[in-house]
Amino acid sequence: MKSFTHLRVASGYSFKYGTAHADQLVERAAEFEMSALALTDINTMAGAIRFAKSCEANGIAPILGINLSFVQKKYRITLLAQGGHLDSLYRLVTAVNLDNSESLLTHALLERFSQYSRNLLVLHGPESQLASTIAARKGAEALSIFNSTRELFADQGLECVSHLTRGDAQFSTSHAARILGFARDNHIPAILSNAVRMLDRDDGPVADVLDAARKLVPLSNKSVSRQNSEAYFKDSSQMGYLADEISRLAGERDGRLLLNTTRDWAERALLSPRKDVGIGAIHLPDAAALGATNHSELATQLRSRCEAGLSRRYVGSKSVVAASRLEEELSAIRTLGYESYFLTVADITDLARSKGIRVAARGSGAGSLICHVLGISGVEPITHGLLMERFCSPLRGELPDIDIDVESARRLEIYDAIFEKYGQRCATVSMVETYRSRHAIRDVGAALGISPIEIDLIAKSMPHIRSSNIPKALANLPELKDLNLNTPILKMAIELAGRLDSLPRHLSMHPCAIVLSDLGLGDYAPQQMNASGYPMVQFDKDDVEAIGLLKLDVLGVRMQSAISYTLSEIERIEGAPIDIDEIALDDHATFDLIKSTRTLGIFQIESPGQRELVGKFAPETFNDLIIDISLFRPGPVKSDMITPFLATRHGLRVRPIIHDDLEDILSETEGVVVFHEQVIRIISVMTGISLAESDEKRRQLGDIANQQTVCDWFYPAALARGYTTVVVTEVWEILRAFASFGFCKAHAAAFALPTYQSSWLKTHHTAAFLAGVLTHEPGMYPKRVILDEARQWGIQIAPIDVNLSDATYRVEKSSKITRAPYLAPNVLSSGAELKLPDARGFAIRMALSDIDGIDGKEIKSIISGRPYLDLADFVYRSGASRPTTESLLMIGAFDDLHKLSTSNINRRDLSLHLQDLYRLAGSKSATSQNQMSFELQPEKFEPSGLPDITASEQVRNEIDILGMDVSSHLLEFYGDFLNKIGAVRSCDLIKHRSGTSVLVAGVKLALQTPPVRSGRRVMFLTIDDGYGCNDITFFEDKQTDFAAVLRNSWLFLVRGEIRRTGPRGISLLGTGAWELANSHEKWRNLAVYGASTT
Amino acid sequence: MFEEAITQNPASPAGARVLAPEGEPIEFIYNGRKFHIHAIVSRWRESGGWWNRISDGKNRVTESTIFDDGARAIWRVEAAPEGALTTFEIELDEVTKTWLIRPTSRPL
Repeated sequence: MKSFTHLRVASGYSFKYGTAHADQLVERAAEFEMSALALTDINTMAGAIRFAKSCEANGIAPILGINLSFVQKKYRITLLAQGGHLDSLYRLVTAVNLDNSESLLTHALLERFSQYSRNLLVLHGPESQLASTIAARKGAEALSIFNSTRELFADQGLECVSHLTRGDAQFSTSHAARILGFARDNHIPAILSNAVRMLDRDDGPVADVLDAARKLVPLSNKSVSRQNSEAYFKDSSQMGYLADEISRLAGERDGRLLLNTTRDWAERALLSPRKDVGIGAIHLPDAAALGATNHSELATQLRSRCEAGLSRRYVGSKSVVAASRLEEELSAIRTLGYESYFLTVADITDLARSKGIRVAARGSGAGSLICHVLGISGVEPITHGLLMERFCSPLRGELPDIDIDVESARRLEIYDAIFEKYGQRCATVSMVETYRSRHAIRDVGAALGISPIEIDLIAKSMPHIRSSNIPKALANLPELKDLNLNTPILKMAIELAGRLDSLPRHLSMHPCAIVLSDLGLGDYAPQQMNASGYPMVQFDKDDVEAIGLLKLDVLGVRMQSAISYTLSEIERIEGAPIDIDEIALDDHATFDLIKSTRTLGIFQIESPGQRELVGKFAPETFNDLIIDISLFRPGPVKSDMITPFLATRHGLRVRPIIHDDLEDILSETEGVVVFHEQVIRIISVMTGISLAESDEKRRQLGDIANQQTVCDWFYPAALARGYTTVVVTEVWEILRAFASFGFCKAHAAAFALPTYQSSWLKTHHTAAFLAGVLTHEPGMYPKRVILDEARQWGIQIAPIDVNLSDATYRVEKSSKITRAPYLAPNVLSSGAELKLPDARGFAIRMALSDIDGIDGKEIKSIISGRPYLDLADFVYRSGASRPTTESLLMIGAFDDLHKLSTSNINRRDLSLHLQDLYRLAGSKSATSQNQMSFELQPEKFEPSGLPDITASEQVRNEIDILGMDVSSHLLEFYGDFLNKIGAVRSCDLIKHRSGTSVLVAGVKLALQTPPVRSGRRVMFLTIDDGYGCNDITFFEDKQTDFAAVLRNSWLFLVRGEIRRTGPRGISLLGTGAWELANSHEKWRNLAVYGASTT
Repeated sequence: MFEEAITQNPASPAGARVLAPEGEPIEFIYNGRKFHIHAIVSRWRESGGWWNRISDGKNRVTESTIFDDGARAIWRVEAAPEGALTTFEIELDEVTKTWLIRPTSRPL
């Protein structure tokens, strides 16, 4: 028997409808020895590339189509691309999506885009208008419907489907037979399909849950569309049997004709995964997009731009080295034909800079000199030993990947500029959201009507794991031990959630990717509008890579916004701009600041773990920063690469020299292999192969299965070059051990640049930098910690003032006396003396935007009404709401305006006055439509005799309204207590010996319990005390006593043992933790206090 | 007609004997008499409503699945012991693999 071809198949990409993955369907087709298979998902072609790839792998010819609403939303048809005309289907689908968001194909659209539809086959199935007219026995009308689109498609067929439902409605055999009869009477081709939505008959319940989830209703006979489980992937003989049944009922001898026509239609729609779908193709932006007429002009343009950049950036002997490296890179690019790739990325970074938006390259692209001289990457690759080959080489069959970081606050401006310039050549990329356990259990629970409380309990305790792992996860969760998971309903819910595993749920926009191509982009991928109003290809990032579209990730990075803001504040205050991209990378003061571990707010090195590492490491150079960033990752931490590196660095260990040839490569990292680039160069030096070939070997090393192959090649190759077996063995061991943990140095270097820049800004323009950090919040710490950081450098924190505060944090020059800035105390073991910044003379003015509940409109209106004469004036003119005005008053935003510090009126008087103003306004607005006006002045207000608010009330107001303590640090109220019990300030810990037991106090910043190698749970607590941060580690043995306190408290008293780990590396080993207020209370009650009695 | 037939000729108790060597019924025994199937008039399949069986305790768990989707296959056939034809519905309960026979027309 000949194999059947399913022409109508919905996969999981028919979101919340299809129960099978596209590749499962393909594998099943292969199992059934079918030669071709169609994918005709509902309203989308998002599965096309994955499907085609899977078809190619399984030796099955793909057919692609789509199921759309036609004429009216309730009627549906299926379009198939004829062989060689997939582009027409893509174009028509795009046209439909750009016309309406309901995937509704109309006659008008068909007529407008008939140049595409004429290349398509259409199937009028059971849900079509045509079929329902036939079923209603309106033959003449049916024929006219059929004829109305006759000229608009390549061919039209009637699709017979029997799901063996009872009676003669849609999907019954008799319905199918009636359709077939009409086709025969009118000489219309008829084909057979099974309108597949499931892989197996057993998948019925999954389909039901998806129906319910799609319609957002619980399961009921009404919400479920199926009447049985026949919409599954039947084999050829089952389909042959159905063909016979339908055909006989229509009066034919057997189903042969129906099957033959189906086979003919399948043949007309066969596609080639390579030729038609474009797998393995490359479609870079064309010459015209870049202002050139042909490819050779592009090459000339690239060369001249590179040469210009080179002569600007390199002088003397360096320029000779650079010029020859440039030749090598250009020749590789020429071989690959990637000229337009580099020019496009350069064009986009130029575009951003022309708008004054900061851009930085990220990733391995920083290894290319071309990227540097074109201005894409700021890192100089030659000095830092970065390699082009790690990024891009003729040996690699994939497009290189360049990501650019831009100011997060202005990312969409760049999108707009790109779309304006590249138009039809560009689109955003989609992202398939799939069912993970939480979503799965929620949707199943809702469908089954399980109590929301139970579902919530299960869902919330569910980590983001694959839903097929749910049963195991549930078994291990103590919070669920009271839930009987063995009731039939919960058992079913859990089983169903597992079966929803990784099914696509929704197509959304990839957060940062853009594809750039030529004017044929619309031929290579179907598009739709995304929620933000940008065209979006229906393919995800892997798909677009598979069909050779240049994907550029434009990532919004808050630090770039913070840097940009800092620069604008510096220019405003100092009157002179700074070019941060031109500063020298060897500023001594900057490295002093880094070594002091006072790195809060700085890119990449502000976390507790990084503060500890820079304290141990004491980086001296930009290259050290690159190493630091590379070492601070799970791999190196786990494999303990850091210890031998630091031991050698600090002269505690003499490093063995393996071979002189490798010294140049290994000396920068003290003999430890940290970077991919080192692996590439070691292999190249020892075997004589090129760097590009060597990178291929490095990639193989990353896969344990391939290590033996590399080993078998490496030994003879290196021995042949005269290295001894001892050396080769030693090197091989290093390569094997570290290859998979290594890091791309170019990537780390790209990160190190903003790290250095932000360190430099913090060192030399501390107030402006911290104002930038407060405004854009790039890091992990809450604002109150950054504020306190500012205070510690001697910066005055200026309160919110209605006449002075802006939407953002502003720097002011200030003559107010502040406390002395932090000086890194020196002890015998703390290394060289550090010179730290003195930021006295500056203030940071708190921003209006931090007022709880204020909105952008209010802020604008308040600012535009300035200056205000008094509270009444503000109430009348500012446009601020009453709650906002009250909040402003509570935190003292009118204090200066009313000169409270020198008058006998206090904040409470002001507050009463405000109530009077609103009472007056209330009576006024009751009698008139007008806004409040100057005519109605309240009486002059007098002191009421009420006491002023206290300092602690003030801080409480600040916490309530701004979410942070502004006027003083929370711990100041415990100052007396902490002094009496001998608690140590965080900045003074360094003065104590390693091993000393101390008491510290502070406000909780973070509590982390990361997984550790030993499997023993460790809790890391970070607290701040107004003098810096304390990082305390609690091991398992202490957790039983203190875990609850650690989790539930905010202010802490902690006992710990000091651990000195390097010149300025300090951590505390926690031995006790108490709630600070409780301890304080006890202390007050007891005349004598001892730390051990708590 | 259908209703009447049911009331006058009750369905055979579950577990009727049906000969179906390739899945499709050929012969069966009804009221102690052996009927031979002359023609299949129509056939259909039904399933669904598994969620309703959870709470009423009627969920039948089998080795292969915990979901009782009530799957059944039905053949409407013309059959006769000899002479006049009678129309029956023969139903296979796919969960329990038991047969049920309902006459849908009275013997002529």
